[in-house]
Amino acid sequence: MPEIKTNNLTHTFGKGGENALTVLEDIDLTFESGSFNSIIGTSGCGKSTLLKMMAGLFDPSDGAMTLDGTVIHGTDRRRGMVFQQDAVFPWMTVAKNISYGPRLRGASKAQQAEIEAKWTEMVGLKGFEDRWPRELSGGMRKRVDIGRVYANDPDVLLMDEPFGALDAQTKERMQSDLLQTWNQTKKTVIFVTHDIEEAIFLSDKIVVLSSRPGRVHHIEEVSLPRPRTDDMRLTEEFLEIKRRLWAMLDH
Amino acid sequence: MNVLDTLTSRRLWLGVLSVAVCFAAYIWVTNRPDNNPALLPPISDIVKSFFVNIESGSLHTALGASLFRIFMGFFIGTTMALIVGCLVGWYKTIEFLVDPLIEALRPIPPLAYIPIIIIWFGIEEFSRVLIISIACFMVCVVNVIAGMKNVPQVYVDAASTMGASRFQVFRTVAVPAATPFIITGYRIALGAAWTTLVASELLAAQNGLGFLLQEGRRYFLTDQVMMVIVIIGACAFLMDRAFRRIQAYLMQWSEARE
Ligand SMILES: Nc1ncnc2c1ncn2[C@@H]1O[C@H](COP(=O)(O)OP(=O)(O)OP(=O)(O)O)[C@@H](O)[C@H]1O
Ligand SMILES: [Mg+2]
Repeated sequence: MPEIKTNNLTHTFGKGGENALTVLEDIDLTFESGSFNSIIGTSGCGKSTLLKMMAGLFDPSDGAMTLDGTVIHGTDRRRGMVFQQDAVFPWMTVAKNISYGPRLRGASKAQQAEIEAKWTEMVGLKGFEDRWPRELSGGMRKRVDIGRVYANDPDVLLMDEPFGALDAQTKERMQSDLLQTWNQTKKTVIFVTHDIEEAIFLSDKIVVLSSRPGRVHHIEEVSLPRPRTDDMRLTEEFLEIKRRLWAMLDH
Repeated sequence: MNVLDTLTSRRLWLGVLSVAVCFAAYIWVTNRPDNNPALLPPISDIVKSFFVNIESGSLHTALGASLFRIFMGFFIGTTMALIVGCLVGWYKTIEFLVDPLIEALRPIPPLAYIPIIIIWFGIEEFSRVLIISIACFMVCVVNVIAGMKNVPQVYVDAASTMGASRFQVFRTVAVPAATPFIITGYRIALGAAWTTLVASELLAAQNGLGFLLQEGRRYFLTDQVMMVIVIIGACAFLMDRAFRRIQAYLMQWSEARE
């Protein structure tokens, strides 16, 4: 089972140059296998940078990250990522986007069709299989993005503000769906958001980063029972955590 | 009728209108008593020249020879441009090796190669196709390179995190993402092919549309010159239209399709 650790991780953009910018410093974290973790922090504190490094898109300037004890270096389909920006391929239809990963590994036409059917349904895009991404709304494209990563079946899911662009209702539905899928598959999830309520609702553990440079400011263990339901958002325990985190993000 | 329909029909009518106005003006000028038909032949003479040249078979021969050169030169030039451009735009080592060369050769007009090509290969079919290939290659390759360099990083990252190898990213992401640029390159190359064709035939050919032009000048057949100009314009126009069809088909996915 996949467990991610960061040891003394520090990252400086343009290290050695005159515009050197240290965005992350001494990050020591453990994300247990099968757990749901969130990272919150103010804009520009280095959340996306941290996630991209875990994906293997670039190496930290100091320290290391390990997946099950093996140092992470380079990308790997075991660590899937939903990017903050729109990453849906505009030259592929919805269905072809969804089955992109399996197709890379030579999945047969029949396997592809099965995967396409399953995941378009899961992300609520049934009927849109043959549409071009340009014909979809921003929120729908995000769902294609998410479905594509799910369909690729990674062990670790890195999600960078995936629901940031959605309206409140769609967002809550997507959150419940995400939890349901996570429940069935028990992947390790690392979820970046700046929505505190979202973080509490989804997570076992919330990492609060301070900014400039980003350091681990606080780790909140959320012990709300699972499965989580929408009425939990109003319980005293939930609101208590919310107040505490609010106060932290304030300064 | 929706907005798009009115726009399309407006484009059509205005286009027809501007051509018709030029046509009418030409007829008016050539009908004036002080017009010298040796310089500005009336339309009836131009049409007559068309049929005379068809009957003698010289128009077929010329058109056939020219179209062959265009297709060969365009095909060879753009294919080379596609291969070289993709490699240069995607692989840094190749870029560092080849890019200075392309930059150095780019400002040289393809026609400047004609003398050296004639010295090396003689006035042969090969020479003419070669010149057109060079012209197509040069204008096309810069577009292909630009396309490969403008592939949004997030697509590359997304593919990599899904397990695509560097070559798979190239094939499934970089090339399709660059198609808008590549197609533009092909279209510009088609224009360059026509320009270079006529110029090279004017300079060195025993047949082809450029040769017919040259012949018309030598024997003072202004109607023939005019007729060939119209033929060239029509061919280039039709080819560009066909190309736009292909472009529209390949670019279905793109937001900006016109
Ligand atoms: N490639 C880069 N080169 C130089 N600096 C960068 C680069 N990427 C990010 N930065 C800088 O690093 C800092 C952190 O960026 P990052 O994208 O990780 O923030 P974030 O926490 O994800 O913010 P947001 O919540 O707004 O998405 C920013 O100050 C940004 O300017
Ligand atoms: Mg970010």
